[in-house]
Amino acid sequence: MGDDRILNAGSGGGVSGFSGGVGNGEKGINGANGGSAGTLAEGRRRGLGFYVRIYRKILVQDLKSKMSYRADFIISTIGMIMTNLAGFLTFMILFGRFPSINGWDYHHMLFLYAFSLIALTPVQCFFDNNWNLRFMVQSGDFIKYCFRPVNVFFYFMSEVFDVKGLGQLAFGVGTLIYAWNKIGLGVSVVIILKLIVYLMTASLFMIAIMNAAAATCFWIQGSGYVMVIMFRFKDFAKYPASIFSSVFKFVFTFIIPIAFIAYYPSLVLLQPDSVPLLSWLSPLIGLLFFWLSYKFWMLGVRKYDFTGS
Amino acid sequence: MSSNETMTQGRKRRTNNRLWALTRAGIMESLQFRLGTFVTLFANLIYLVLVYYLWKAIYDSAGTDVVNGMSFNDTMIYLILATALFNFLEMFVVWDMSRAIQSGKIILDLLKPMKYRRYTFWSYSGAHVMQFILSFVPTFIVVMIVTGGAIHIGLNMIWFMISVIFALLVNFNIEMIVATICLYTESTWGINIVKETIVLLLSGASIPLAFFPDSLARIVKYLPFRAVYDTPLSILLQKNGSDEWLGLFSLWGQQIIWIVILSVAGTLFWNHSVKKITVNGG
Amino acid sequence: MVLNSTCNYNILDIEKENNRYFTSKGKNMGNEAIIMKNVCKDFKVLNRHEGLKGSIRDLFSRDYKTISAVKDVTLTVGKGEMIGYLGPNGAGKSTTIKMMTGVLEPTSGEILVNGVVPYQNRTKNCENIGVVFGQRSQLWWSLPLIESFKLLRDIYMVDEKDYQDMLDLYSSLVDIEPILHKPVRQMSLGQRTLSDILAAFLHNPDIVFLDEPTIGLDVSMKSKIRSLIAGLNEQKKTTVILTTHDMGDVDALCKRIIIIDKGMKIYDNDIEKLKSYFGAYRTLKLIFEDGSIEETVIDESKTDIMDVIKQNDRQKKIKDIQLIEISTEQVIKKIYEGGDI
Repeated sequence: MGDDRILNAGSGGGVSGFSGGVGNGEKGINGANGGSAGTLAEGRRRGLGFYVRIYRKILVQDLKSKMSYRADFIISTIGMIMTNLAGFLTFMILFGRFPSINGWDYHHMLFLYAFSLIALTPVQCFFDNNWNLRFMVQSGDFIKYCFRPVNVFFYFMSEVFDVKGLGQLAFGVGTLIYAWNKIGLGVSVVIILKLIVYLMTASLFMIAIMNAAAATCFWIQGSGYVMVIMFRFKDFAKYPASIFSSVFKFVFTFIIPIAFIAYYPSLVLLQPDSVPLLSWLSPLIGLLFFWLSYKFWMLGVRKYDFTGS
Repeated sequence: MSSNETMTQGRKRRTNNRLWALTRAGIMESLQFRLGTFVTLFANLIYLVLVYYLWKAIYDSAGTDVVNGMSFNDTMIYLILATALFNFLEMFVVWDMSRAIQSGKIILDLLKPMKYRRYTFWSYSGAHVMQFILSFVPTFIVVMIVTGGAIHIGLNMIWFMISVIFALLVNFNIEMIVATICLYTESTWGINIVKETIVLLLSGASIPLAFFPDSLARIVKYLPFRAVYDTPLSILLQKNGSDEWLGLFSLWGQQIIWIVILSVAGTLFWNHSVKKITVNGG
Repeated sequence: MVLNSTCNYNILDIEKENNRYFTSKGKNMGNEAIIMKNVCKDFKVLNRHEGLKGSIRDLFSRDYKTISAVKDVTLTVGKGEMIGYLGPNGAGKSTTIKMMTGVLEPTSGEILVNGVVPYQNRTKNCENIGVVFGQRSQLWWSLPLIESFKLLRDIYMVDEKDYQDMLDLYSSLVDIEPILHKPVRQMSLGQRTLSDILAAFLHNPDIVFLDEPTIGLDVSMKSKIRSLIAGLNEQKKTTVILTTHDMGDVDALCKRIIIIDKGMKIYDNDIEKLKSYFGAYRTLKLIFEDGSIEETVIDESKTDIMDVIKQNDRQKKIKDIQLIEISTEQVIKKIYEGGDI
């Protein structure tokens, strides 16, 4: 039951995340052809409410059918747990030999690690279908998403909701609470609000990276590797960006924004006295990156030839 | 007698031609992914940059130059070449097979006049050759130039190549066993991620095995994963006693033993499982 | 064929004119469901070279060539019509359909579907069309059909009453009970195709595109699907564009056919007219007393059938005579093979 609540709340968040982009794209189209909008009565516009409702319905159906594939669910969950354990083990091995990295001690590093894990949850839960994109595009099956009167990006992403991401969320939350206590951050309404806002910010960057990586398949054959390597890049998100020289700090901040997946947003919580401007601005930059990745993805759909049939 | 001999020879040549045709098709296919090839090279470079800065920061913070017998240079060479090897060995057998199973294409593959395992292996060989030339060799040359003689150039290179071929076979067998699981479940992602994390961690591709705590190192020693990355790299860097014949042969021996064990287990598992899908009618 | 006179206007004028219809009522906006005017579609593809060396060269080459998939196609489809859209593989059928559905943008020329430019208004265009693409199911793979229907009802914002009416109509035309609660993944190909067709009609679209709807189906399923399509077209006055290689589909459903080959429209008229071009040819089948059979194709404009019969009768005693009309399939085959019309 508890899970259900999280799912619903989460789904709303995920959808509203890209509905901003959705509305934008549609507006351009309607604007160009405002005159002929008569077929739909005014009350039947597909706004944010429509998309939230549809997503929820698809989600409920999807979960119902998932229940009938228990083995599948168990294997994925074990996979997720193993991945997280392996990640944690890597972390422990490293810190067994080297007690601090670049002035960051064990607990602060653990905080970054947990932060990045939680930030990964939305991309895993709501945008997992990105991994199937290149196969769909190659085989020509992708075309089916273009025949419905809804946003293609939404329709495509709505098809897969990945429950196993929630295991990682639990793992991340547990680790974060532990590190939080050890660092002695204290609890107040403001700091929790900050945490939530900046966690969502971090997720936006991760989603943007994976959208862009997946969308490369519209132009590049054999681009599966781009996604794989981008997904591996995110493993470095849990280290402080201060380890990079200035050129690469720029690259990993503005071009492949992995520094925003944990480092910049967590500084707001970890160093409240000296928060860099980039950390404060990260929610806006996150929205911008998300919007750009969405546009890039949609551009791919428009430019693609659909010759795969 | 002699006609019999020519026949056998002819058949052999035909088999070889057929295998070469598969390799060649693979090479051409990976070249056709032209932009993909460039992007892959570029992405690898960026990945190496990440590895470099992380370990530089780690060694800077450690205060000593040598940790567990590995200097910063050693670690970098090890990790960079491990990454290059990873790209070279990367196979999508699990993904491909699960797609083939779900679409029913597997039946066609099974009907091909060649054992499925052999067919898969040789179809991938072309991509392997390409990856070796496009990704491993350039990386190797760059590492050699940058580190300026940290890699000993001699017979160890040849021993390393032999070991890489063994590693390829070990890796292929691991892939095949994991891919066979896909006959039972559609959770490809879950299976693949488990395989990937286990192999990457326990083979020493993400952290050199030298840094592992003793208890863990002891377990890893008895697992096949180190035969994929750690063994060839140890031979190249002349560590783990591979600079002597005895050490070298024991490392190769371990790889060969794993190839035998894994391929026997894999074949049995595959045959058993295929029987199951044939009975179920796919 | 003569284009509808409105086509002589600038396409924007048509749109303005049609908009007057739009504002009053959705489904009655003019007589054309689809208007295509001088539509061309080019694809840029890399000029690949042969062999291993060629592949290496391709890695760096910028040598593109342009392929014209559709060349200057002009056509109109009236409301409620059922059109057979034919052509050999690679003729440009799918490309045309993709342009009509708004998935592809034409390189040049103009398209109006229900008075809307499909590519610029993809979502709006999708409101009023239904698409079934070959063997690719567009339904939610793991959901029972009824759940897919409910989701589609919500996505297309169909009124509850219209939705129920449609379901009632469906059950009057086919037996949907056995598939309604079955997940799509567990269905046979025939059931899946049936489901996809039902799903395409669910929101009562003005136009439905059916691409190879009967491919790979057995005879009884084929006829079931044909009568379903015919029934829906009749009841709902839906325009149907049917792409197929099965002349049985065409004979059963379409009055008018459009044939496209190498990107160009080569025929656009009644199916009966097409046959009459070839009607001059008939196959004469003679069965002789001794059991032997002889078949000859006769061009009646040159040869008299009676002469042939008499000639044969002089040699051997004829027991039976059959005169076989040319089938649509043979006609189409002749056209594909380059026979003149």
